[in-house]
Amino acid sequence: MPSASEQLRPTSLAEASEALASASAGGRQVRIGETLVTDGLTRILQHEAGDLTCTVEAGLRLSELRAALAPHGQRLSLDPPGDPTVGACLAASLSGPLRHRFGTPRDLVLGVTLVLGDGTIANAGGTVVKNVAGYDLGKLVCGSRGSLGLIARASLRLHPLPRSSATLVAEVNDPAGAALAILRSQVQPSALDVLHPGRVAVLFEGVAPAVEAQIAAARALVGGDVAGDEVWRESRERQGRALGRLRFAPRDLRNTLSTLREAVARPSAGVAYVPDRVGGVPSAGVRQLQRAIKDALDPGAVLA
Amino acid sequence: MAFSPALTTEFGALLGDEHVIVEPDRLRVYDCDGLTGWRSTPAAVLLPASTAEVQEIVRLCTREGIPWVARGAGTGLSGGALPVADGVVIALTRMNAILEVDLASQRVVVQPGVTNLEVTRAVEADGFFYAPDPSSQQVCTIGGNVAENSGGAHCLKNGFTVNHVTGVTLVLPGGEVVELGGKVLDEERPDLLGVVVGSEGTLGVVTEITLRVVRTPATVTTMLAAFRSITAAGEACSRVIAAGVTPAALEMMDRLTIEAAEQAFNPGYPDGAQALLLVELDGVVEQVDHDAHAVEELCRSLGAFEVRVARDADERRLLWLGRKGAFPAMGRISPDYYVQDGVVPRTRLPEVLERIEELSREHGLRVGNVFHAGDGNLHPLVLYDSATGETERAKELADAILLACLDAGGSLTGEHGIGVDKACAMPGMFSERDLEVFARLRAAFDPEGLANPGKVLPTPRLCGEVPGPYRTHPLERMGLAERF
Repeated sequence: MPSASEQLRPTSLAEASEALASASAGGRQVRIGETLVTDGLTRILQHEAGDLTCTVEAGLRLSELRAALAPHGQRLSLDPPGDPTVGACLAASLSGPLRHRFGTPRDLVLGVTLVLGDGTIANAGGTVVKNVAGYDLGKLVCGSRGSLGLIARASLRLHPLPRSSATLVAEVNDPAGAALAILRSQVQPSALDVLHPGRVAVLFEGVAPAVEAQIAAARALVGGDVAGDEVWRESRERQGRALGRLRFAPRDLRNTLSTLREAVARPSAGVAYVPDRVGGVPSAGVRQLQRAIKDALDPGAVLA
Repeated sequence: MAFSPALTTEFGALLGDEHVIVEPDRLRVYDCDGLTGWRSTPAAVLLPASTAEVQEIVRLCTREGIPWVARGAGTGLSGGALPVADGVVIALTRMNAILEVDLASQRVVVQPGVTNLEVTRAVEADGFFYAPDPSSQQVCTIGGNVAENSGGAHCLKNGFTVNHVTGVTLVLPGGEVVELGGKVLDEERPDLLGVVVGSEGTLGVVTEITLRVVRTPATVTTMLAAFRSITAAGEACSRVIAAGVTPAALEMMDRLTIEAAEQAFNPGYPDGAQALLLVELDGVVEQVDHDAHAVEELCRSLGAFEVRVARDADERRLLWLGRKGAFPAMGRISPDYYVQDGVVPRTRLPEVLERIEELSREHGLRVGNVFHAGDGNLHPLVLYDSATGETERAKELADAILLACLDAGGSLTGEHGIGVDKACAMPGMFSERDLEVFARLRAAFDPEGLANPGKVLPTPRLCGEVPGPYRTHPLERMGLAERF
């Protein structure tokens, strides 16, 4: 890690642009999160409660955003392990149990302001919930790990905080079967995790009668008992410790689990967080395309 | 660049002569899409049957320097499938097979020529549906939906095409074939799929698509609320959303549209309504009951003088009748109309609707408003008569409405796309730098510039050299003061 004095620490969009432009001019490489940090970019620029949208600087931590939105009865439906920044959520495509219903950052980002390696400021998308004008760079940078540009600002879709919620945890011999039974039914959980081996956790959110009815319906399908939030904390912690993300077609959940000692699996998404690193090299064609995009957006290879 | 008889022979050998169209009268069928004001005749229309054939077409075109435009059903409303003169159209209508239905994974794999509604038809008996539902869903193709990132009335709750595509096979402009995504996403690298969906055919040709289908909800309730003012109806919209209710659909019609619908279909909407709000709620019974009650209370408190609730599928169909047929119904009250597609933040709906009324008066042309109110996606219908020379004024009015949307912090298009129609308007929403970055990304996919040229980004040929009236991008506008 570089020392604090060597770090670039912009406190505005203009400073971020200048910092990258001068690094570029000086032939210095920048690694976002290490040699350029975003903890000076933490403002909420706009929160239009009636529109259920907000625009924030990318260094804002999820906990801070959560605290600011809660008084308005709203949230960003993103609950990855730890307390990452909004920019890190996008750059590393981070999500948690709520992805079952609300998806990953790509599904919640409405627009971005990027600063490219040469300091160019580029906007894409917008601040409204529906928009197909121009290329969706906000999605492109999801998972890009800082390699295509600095995510300086992001506009995000918000959701109302649920009136009530309840969790069902079932200890079962066949968690895959239980999870698929829930998926096949008409209950609409906000989260559905398999804590392999042996447990399925289901989260329902909404008005109290709807939550109660769904708990009852889910229980009739898979058994189990109403539980507290601890299971979600556990799920996130295990996910946070995991070194690998395994992808599988949802129908292969049972087979996938049978090869694993332990995992946190999100069946509808087809992703399992596993203790060990898993490979997964893109095809030559995809690698070549990725390289062409990198060369187009960061021709000076300023961003590591 | 020339389309020689030798090339016709070469394509014939590749595809079969019957799948190469070069006769002028047969080419004319393809000279426009749903935006009929723009026409251009291609040199040839090619009808491939497989990914490999598309790949060969693209390679041959690249070798010869011939531009191509991929096309589905041609129902698009922004001229995204307008042919390039002397170029080829790759018509994907023969690639219309549903390749796999995997309901255990809640995925369906299709070729691009499958129509939107066919996907739902393939899974509805098992209790699933494909959520994005553009009005043209009976005929429009999934390939076209992917190109345009199509929306529809029921995208408010479930999301747009991009949220329902988990994988594509993409033939790149150089002729390579890449697989992006699959049955699941979440790759730990840039989301290429996310930028390809909605790229309007400028980044390659999609030849296979994996779609997410969703479970049919336990119950559906459809309600219609009648208001005496459009401002009150607009207010009700944003209040419903702000109250934490997420309807499956939240649609609005103004007086002019109601009149047209009555003349065309006689749905028997409440007398004296200046605006109608159509609200559909779906999900688990207890939630829908609660939300329906909340919506009714809210609408009445904001002046709704009648609220109807559909009790069965027939009544639901009746409530939707006027909304679904609103565009064609306009033909009853006006010789011509232009469908605008703009977006505003939901909370700005009332003021933007008032502004549209003002603009309509100033231009002396009627404007019908029927739109996806829940996500702020306006579809003002500018009514005019080309026979009396109103076309130019109609275009000016439509442009002025779009600027009003941008001024309110909105977007040039919510679901119809930029195409050729709005390419010259892009500098109103994006700076020169933003557009230059878009162009760099496009060139990374298509260095030769042969994939649907002239669409999405403004070109001097299309727009002249005069830069448009750039309004600072809404994202950048925020916190501007701090920069200077």
